[in-house]
Amino acid sequence: MLNYIWAGLIISSLVFALASDGRDLARDVYRNGTPLTVTIHFPDRYQPEARRQSVEVRVDVGTFRQLYATDASLAPSFSGTLIQTQEGRQLQFAKDVSLPEPLSTIRSFTSKRDNDLRGVVDLRGAAGDTLIASAVLFAPVRFVKMSAITVAAFDFAETAVTIALGLIGALALWLGLLRIAEKAGLIHLIVKLVQPIIRPLFPEIPKDHPALGMIVLNLSANVLGLGNAATPLGIKAMEELQTLNPVKDTATNSMVMLLAMNTASVQIVPPVLLVAIMGLQVNQLFFSIFIVTVCSLVVAIVAARLLGRLKGYRESDPTMQQSPPATSGAD
Amino acid sequence: METFRHIIDLISVFVLPSVIVGFPLYGLYKRVPVYEEFVEGAKEGFKVAVTIIPYLVAILFAIGMFRASGALDWLIEGTRPMLAAIGVPPEVIPMWIVRPLTGSGSAAIVVDMIARYGEDSLVVKMAATMFGSTETTFYVIAVYFGAVNVKKTRHAVPAGLIADIFAMFLAVYVVRLLFG
Repeated sequence: MLNYIWAGLIISSLVFALASDGRDLARDVYRNGTPLTVTIHFPDRYQPEARRQSVEVRVDVGTFRQLYATDASLAPSFSGTLIQTQEGRQLQFAKDVSLPEPLSTIRSFTSKRDNDLRGVVDLRGAAGDTLIASAVLFAPVRFVKMSAITVAAFDFAETAVTIALGLIGALALWLGLLRIAEKAGLIHLIVKLVQPIIRPLFPEIPKDHPALGMIVLNLSANVLGLGNAATPLGIKAMEELQTLNPVKDTATNSMVMLLAMNTASVQIVPPVLLVAIMGLQVNQLFFSIFIVTVCSLVVAIVAARLLGRLKGYRESDPTMQQSPPATSGAD
Repeated sequence: METFRHIIDLISVFVLPSVIVGFPLYGLYKRVPVYEEFVEGAKEGFKVAVTIIPYLVAILFAIGMFRASGALDWLIEGTRPMLAAIGVPPEVIPMWIVRPLTGSGSAAIVVDMIARYGEDSLVVKMAATMFGSTETTFYVIAVYFGAVNVKKTRHAVPAGLIADIFAMFLAVYVVRLLFG
């Protein structure tokens, strides 16, 4: 299933990017090649030989709306710089000013690094003037979404590595502590204690196996909202389950159950991120989150159990492939 | 309810320090060479994190592309009439679609909704309840299965998504019942 979802995500990104870029081209949303008429105000008079001059760009809302066929509004004037280059005069809008669509897309597309809108300017006035009517021509914008998905792919690949490497510290700490607990017999103690409650959910795990202890620690960390403890403990529980798995690249029913219980995320304490966003308002939601999370946990358990009994999933069960069909009822 | 909440808060403050100190303490009592064993266990941390990388890259870049292409917005718009028909307010539909895909994305939606509809509005309470009561399913799958190199996830995705969908529905009705 993950194969199809994954391929679906990538393919549909391409299709949608192509469709939306095609539509933009057909409608000429960015008016490639058509200049925008503006009035440039020179606070200390226009000097043709100056290399850089601070200016104020005045854009008439009516002209802007008509050119780009939009009803967005924009500020009446922007600060900017007029620059003399070998290719001619260039008008540079100030960095990070707030611009309406499609100008903001033109900016982010043509000046990714500096985030300032630039265009080749055609001045229609003489030296010494303070107000000059001009036409600004921006660089053509094409295939915005196509380049956006490329950028996103690489950005998120980098994010993934950052996230994974960020786990190292917490993982090392917990795996170290758990190793002590294992050697000291603490995990065994926990297993003895909770086995009657937890084992019915994981019938494949043999009695007194340490995996049960890790699962309980993982679920308890979840309940208490200890995000940075829950993940390492869950990973350790998965590793224990993997030792029982005869086919190493396929999930066992117990693994799916543990995963389903984690995605349902039984938490009594609201997640830190939500507290950071909402502040004390979260307290009101304590009860609603509690009800929903407990009910969805039950649904996750039932779904994992029932889906595991479907024919296709039963045939792919790694514990079934090794041994011949069990003679007695497994449950 | 308030006192219960306080007790839980108190426990969650004390549980980590007591585990971090308690495990080695118990180890000492059982005559385990605690320092040596800790280091031995902690060694695995780096290996596990690196093992996760390919799985996480695969999931995250696909989701990132999907979002950047505008397909996500289309999905939200496309499912709107269907979900509205079964009583889901149109404002919370972005949350429905985004929650299992990205954690940061869904947090951004809550922030955006607070700015737009106000903290006390029913739809914000629904979205926040959804955020608080489910996990980023695809991230959890990548991390947990990635750590043990499991590629064939069998019914993990459908089971996780069924629980998510159920939680999303329940959040709408529970919030309406409690605050509506």
